[in-house]
Amino acid sequence: MKKLLLIVSLLMFALVSLGASELVINSYMSDPAPRKVFAELVDQFREEHPELEVTVNTFAHEDFKTLLRTWLNSPEAPDVATWFAGERMRYFASKGLLEPIGDIFEGGFRAYFPEAFRSASAYEDEIYFVPQSWYWWGVYYRKSVFEELNIQSPITWSQFIKVCEKLKENGYIPITIGTKYLWTAAGWFDSLNMRVNGIEYHMDLTNGDIPYTDEGMEKVFDYWKELIENDYFIDNHTSYTWQDAANYLFTGEAGMYLMGQFIKDVAPENIKDDLDFFRFPIIDGEVGLYEDTPIDGFMIPAKAKNKEAAKTFLKFIASKEAQQYFAEELGRLAANKNVPAPDAHAQKGLEMILESDGVMQFYDRDTNPEMAEKGMNGFVEFMVYPRRLETILKNLEMHRMRIYSE
Amino acid sequence: MIAKKWVPYAFLAVPLTMYSIWVLYPIISTFVLSFTSWDGVSPTIKFIGLENFVELFNDPYFGVSVINNIKWLVGFTGVCVPLGLLIAMLLDQKFKGTKIYKTLIYLPMTLSFVIIGQIWFWILEPRHGAINTILNMLGLESVGWLSDPNVVTYSLILAASWRQISYAMVIYLAGLKQVPNQLIEAAWVDGANAWKRFIHIIIPMLKPATVVAITVSIIDSLRAFDIVYVLTRGGPFYSSSVMANYMYIQSFHNYRMGYGSAIAVIQFLITLGFILFYMRYVLKSEEER
Repeated sequence: MKKLLLIVSLLMFALVSLGASELVINSYMSDPAPRKVFAELVDQFREEHPELEVTVNTFAHEDFKTLLRTWLNSPEAPDVATWFAGERMRYFASKGLLEPIGDIFEGGFRAYFPEAFRSASAYEDEIYFVPQSWYWWGVYYRKSVFEELNIQSPITWSQFIKVCEKLKENGYIPITIGTKYLWTAAGWFDSLNMRVNGIEYHMDLTNGDIPYTDEGMEKVFDYWKELIENDYFIDNHTSYTWQDAANYLFTGEAGMYLMGQFIKDVAPENIKDDLDFFRFPIIDGEVGLYEDTPIDGFMIPAKAKNKEAAKTFLKFIASKEAQQYFAEELGRLAANKNVPAPDAHAQKGLEMILESDGVMQFYDRDTNPEMAEKGMNGFVEFMVYPRRLETILKNLEMHRMRIYSE
Repeated sequence: MIAKKWVPYAFLAVPLTMYSIWVLYPIISTFVLSFTSWDGVSPTIKFIGLENFVELFNDPYFGVSVINNIKWLVGFTGVCVPLGLLIAMLLDQKFKGTKIYKTLIYLPMTLSFVIIGQIWFWILEPRHGAINTILNMLGLESVGWLSDPNVVTYSLILAASWRQISYAMVIYLAGLKQVPNQLIEAAWVDGANAWKRFIHIIIPMLKPATVVAITVSIIDSLRAFDIVYVLTRGGPFYSSSVMANYMYIQSFHNYRMGYGSAIAVIQFLITLGFILFYMRYVLKSEEER
């Protein structure tokens, strides 16, 4: 603990020593691929604005999530920080820790981004967030493995179960997942809940309006339990990070992985083109098709020193050129609506989302931060001890009542 | 001479100021925060009396964390200290290469816990880690060293022991240098065998070293954090959590600075008890000299 405080205070000293003509950007893009592309983008910005001295501090993704709050509160906040749209951004905006940035868009927010992104980027009618890229979630698999076993991408739940069974019979781990950092389990929860109960229900749940002990929840966990009890998930998943788990897909030990498009960031070159995805299987034909489409982007802390420079940078980030570069290099979808999908894979993802009936961000981006941590811990506990479900849900309900009554 | 009474205080002024800013002030503010529901972000702080402490005593995960701390304490004092003594006794003999062995065993002390954690992750990794690979070669089942809730805490203690044992060894090696050779020779002349010499001469003579080794081990076990955070973050679902880790998760992941402070206060009070005991012993033995 003391060590951590020391590091934080050293960092602050480092920031103090920087002058006002500098622009400090704290970034969580720590995986090699996005880190490289972001550095290239910043270089382009430097060329356009030689008068600014830009510093980028990159932090490991999981550390960034805990450090951000300390920065926002310190008088030496960075000028720009990467972050997630939705509730996770709104939480800080509601505490007055973010700078409204609606005025940087010529022609308004809608001139740059789809109208659907507004609510995820705003708090009480003010824009606080510049979307950079977004992606879809899907069940990723290796084309070569599916071909070898003569497997078709499943569309319904029963087909999906058959695929799992076939993979298992042939010595593959049907589904890989790494739950050390919890959120990967939330991907399963979101998908199952939206397929079983629909988007209205899911939205109410993440808003804290539906009890975790609700009847609808039971069905969700019944489907999940089917996968767990048939031993389709990889063993010991609680000791893996999402990258560790992805590795088992890349080595050909595991068959499928429910993951966001960013899985491509960590895939080896020779496997990238062998990766494909299908839409999360349909459980109830009566329920519409809803997906998670998290938006990543940037914001300015209210305590930033050089807000003018920060806004100049965000304007650059919002521009079609900068968004296109980032999307093309990483195969993500740009938030800027004038940028086409960069490749066939992204086109497929875009089409899947366009055919959907509605989208959410992600469990830990739509839910109050503390509730999200409790919830995801519960999901992981359920994945290891499915029999404890009742206790887990009761416990979550207790926390929901406390957290949302405050 | 009276006029010079202020001199020591003048010398102490700088360290005392620093001590107040970096040690006393944080301790006091932690105590104050433990009575609030502060989230670490809001500009306003609401006092809620003893609510945090009431919740804490009903929080099953805090209970798990305390029990795990006790497991650490037993492991550090009951296993690491005796093993450290054993190794120190072995290496105190005169044979070829003792220096090399001492250096090798001392080596983990030079590594930070974060690096030790990473090394042990490779050893304990479930599918391709060193231990499970060997188990599989012997035809045995893999063990979820870092994922089985019943096993994970012991794996963490094992990783931490690697360093803790060498620490105990160093203390005992220094202690053994203090044992006068004449005493042992006299016992030998009187016909005491090796075991009796060990029990009746060496162990009592090593008492100061033992007190230091045990007290430091207790304190180290209570403030265990780094290894836990690096290897599991207290997971799966808090089953390997310890107080310091739970405090960190609550304060910085769950945005509950007040609740985290309450955990810190409890941890502080427990540790304080042991430190007071240690200080009393050290001061007493200094006076005796």
